[in-house]
Amino acid sequence: MNGEQITESLEKDLNEALVSCEKCHLCNTVCPIVDTRVTQGPFGINRAVYYGLKWHGLSEHVRDLVHSCTTCGKCVAMCKMVSRALPLVEIFEKARALLLESGLGPMPEQREVLKNIYRRGNPWGYPPHERTQWAEGLDIKKVSKEDTVDVLYFVGCASSYDPQAQKIARNLTRIFTQAGVNFGILEGEQCSGSETRRIGETGLFEHLAEMNTQMFASVGAKGIVTGDPHSYYSFSREYPDLGKGLKVQHYTHFLNELMEEGKLKLSSRAETTVTYHDPCYLGRHSEVFEEPRALIRRIPGVTLVEMEKSREDSDCCGMGGGRMWIEVPRGLLSSQAIAESRIRQALDTGAEIVLTACPFCNITLGDAVKSMGKEDSIKVMDITELVLMAS
Amino acid sequence: MSLHVEELGQDLRKLVGDDHVHTDLIERMNYADTALPYDLEKEELPDLVVHPANAQEVSEVLKYANERRIPVTTYGSGTSLIFGTKPKHRGITLSTERLNALEIDEAHQWLECGAGVKIGHLVRELGKLGYFFPIQTQAASSVGGAVSVNTLGHLTDNIFGRPVNNVLGLEVVLPTGEILQTGSTCLRRAAGWDLTRIFVGAEGVLGIITKIRMVLYPAPETVDAVGFFRKTEQIGLAIGLMYKQKLPLPMDGEFVGEKACKVGYEAYGLDFPEGALAVTRSMGRTREEAERNAGELVALFKRVGATESFILEDEEIREKVWGVRENAMRWGQEKGLKGFLAIEVNPPLPRLPEAIRELSHVTEGRKGLIGQTESYLYGHVGSDSLHCLFAFPYGWSLEKMKQVVDEIWRLEKELQLKYDGVGGDWGWFPYRVPLYREKYGEASYAIIEKMKQLFDPHNILNRGNIEGEV
Repeated sequence: MNGEQITESLEKDLNEALVSCEKCHLCNTVCPIVDTRVTQGPFGINRAVYYGLKWHGLSEHVRDLVHSCTTCGKCVAMCKMVSRALPLVEIFEKARALLLESGLGPMPEQREVLKNIYRRGNPWGYPPHERTQWAEGLDIKKVSKEDTVDVLYFVGCASSYDPQAQKIARNLTRIFTQAGVNFGILEGEQCSGSETRRIGETGLFEHLAEMNTQMFASVGAKGIVTGDPHSYYSFSREYPDLGKGLKVQHYTHFLNELMEEGKLKLSSRAETTVTYHDPCYLGRHSEVFEEPRALIRRIPGVTLVEMEKSREDSDCCGMGGGRMWIEVPRGLLSSQAIAESRIRQALDTGAEIVLTACPFCNITLGDAVKSMGKEDSIKVMDITELVLMAS
Repeated sequence: MSLHVEELGQDLRKLVGDDHVHTDLIERMNYADTALPYDLEKEELPDLVVHPANAQEVSEVLKYANERRIPVTTYGSGTSLIFGTKPKHRGITLSTERLNALEIDEAHQWLECGAGVKIGHLVRELGKLGYFFPIQTQAASSVGGAVSVNTLGHLTDNIFGRPVNNVLGLEVVLPTGEILQTGSTCLRRAAGWDLTRIFVGAEGVLGIITKIRMVLYPAPETVDAVGFFRKTEQIGLAIGLMYKQKLPLPMDGEFVGEKACKVGYEAYGLDFPEGALAVTRSMGRTREEAERNAGELVALFKRVGATESFILEDEEIREKVWGVRENAMRWGQEKGLKGFLAIEVNPPLPRLPEAIRELSHVTEGRKGLIGQTESYLYGHVGSDSLHCLFAFPYGWSLEKMKQVVDEIWRLEKELQLKYDGVGGDWGWFPYRVPLYREKYGEASYAIIEKMKQLFDPHNILNRGNIEGEV
């Protein structure tokens, strides 16, 4: 399809989907980005796109609204439960693709992010050769066709480069080593492209999907384990050719399996009360709710308490959907406010630790604890940190 | 009326702050959109939207508008779907969304909230403290809107009272800018003529409610039950008997007609008995009492001929049964019909079975476009609201859409008059003015006009609503 045909097809899809909105506004009642106005949140975005297309094409105002969505998916669940089952996240991603196609999108700050992913394989533009620096001193095998492994650990961009998230990669690989897992990482790992798709750059996503699929095949990987729910979601649900014979797991699946097989044993008691924040792309989008909880319950001495909103109803950390890289326009709820709201829910449980299983959530919620000055009341950790402490 | 929107915007920004006046097309659009099956026209939008933060700012805006005779339309949440919040004369739309403060005072046993507080939020906050909110409108609706239309609790209305019975007092801003405090801060009603009762149910035409004080109710224990019936009218019979036999009323009850059930069961893959269903939520101070009360309804349903009836103990089945009801709006869509319009008919209890029978076959043999629609019956058992949803293709031309809407509305008026109904569920007064005038007479309508003149001499507030403009 050429650009014009793509635009036409996207416009047709959007119109057909949005015309049947019942206008009950219930999507807005569960949306983390809604502050006070009906124009914010999924209802506002949905109508802005519908009438934007009908009346005057799309504008920067519409673009700002469309990109304000974290793609957490709570609205989708609500619409499915009580109304017309509109696939709102999919619709907003198509709207982003249309904005990009028309030259209005993405958000100005995201242009650089996409360029970095295309040129350097990560959103921040760090040199590709620094991608595996986190692994220095850990003696981790670099997988190749000649030196294949049982488990290919896909690290993801955040855990490769972000100092806070790198801890997840280091902890997880230490756990693998303790359990005697034959694993390795890719020397030339690239971005999974999950966020490029969220931003609406479907062409770049397809390119990355093809490249990664070929790379996985070329090293003879039998199974992939990742700690990044965004990549996990894309590999398992959005990579067209990956499902054929390659088992993809989030580490919460895999570590439970290791324990069931007796390969990983936890002996130290943690003696703490924790709560668990469901990452949107592991929980609602990939429907993985029980495995992280099962893993937490296996840690001796840990008491798990749930937040007011958990599992399918869990609130977002505020950074998904490409929001991590944008300055949220004035008049819309900031990502920090969303994350702080989630931390307040965690504080209400009386837990000492908020556990999560996503590097994005880990970074965002950790920052929120600092901005709220609550470091003495609650800590944010990835589950791997507690597992390692207990092993 | 031609307004200098830029100048108006500048003046209003001085009153409510720069960030709280919106003139952008996309922002204004949401404040005029309706659930009608055809799109808005740009000419129908308000000239601008203001979001005041408190009664004082509301008062300043109204004084300004009153002096200049600028129409002001109030917007709470827009969930009345069609009539009340759509500006009929453009001008200013005043949103109460920022009036969202909430105080729950257990010592006084009341709550006080801004008009813009959403019902879902309030229900959740009350629930945390073990209280129940006796207004069961949908979660996105605003307390100010629900109180303004004096609706709606389905069966809750008959047990806990309608909003007018539970509101202790209000803060109201008159169209001329005066701020009134009505009612009491204790649980006793106010002496003399309590103005609260004039504003509750006035659908916002006499003043803008900015704050509401309501009594607290302890949350009861609840148990749900379901009854399956071959014919929907058997449910009408059962409900009449429930009252006559003085059975413990459930706090919530819904029914779904035969045709709608069939589509709902198919959508969910449910293997429920063919026919219609009634689902109820019984209450009690203890779980045992709620179970006992639910058991009495199960026994009643069986006496009336339910093919099956039981208490919904299994969480999964319970969710599916309520899901069949909650997905009312998707039934047409299952058949690829995206356009829809629902009506409301309120027959008195003795005529429920007859009305249900007629509505179950309402499109059959009808000429005109209405005969080409698919209709699905559902509603609220015991509080006399029968809803009939007509589904049709969205591909119809605008002319055809408008024609079918007109036919459906005419049908609703005929049915309301036939069954002595009132249409008090949704609060669509602008649309129901002709029904009101025919049912209650011109003398009654003239009182409304005179009261409007008294409170709003220049008819700035929600202009067009009592005139019946839709």
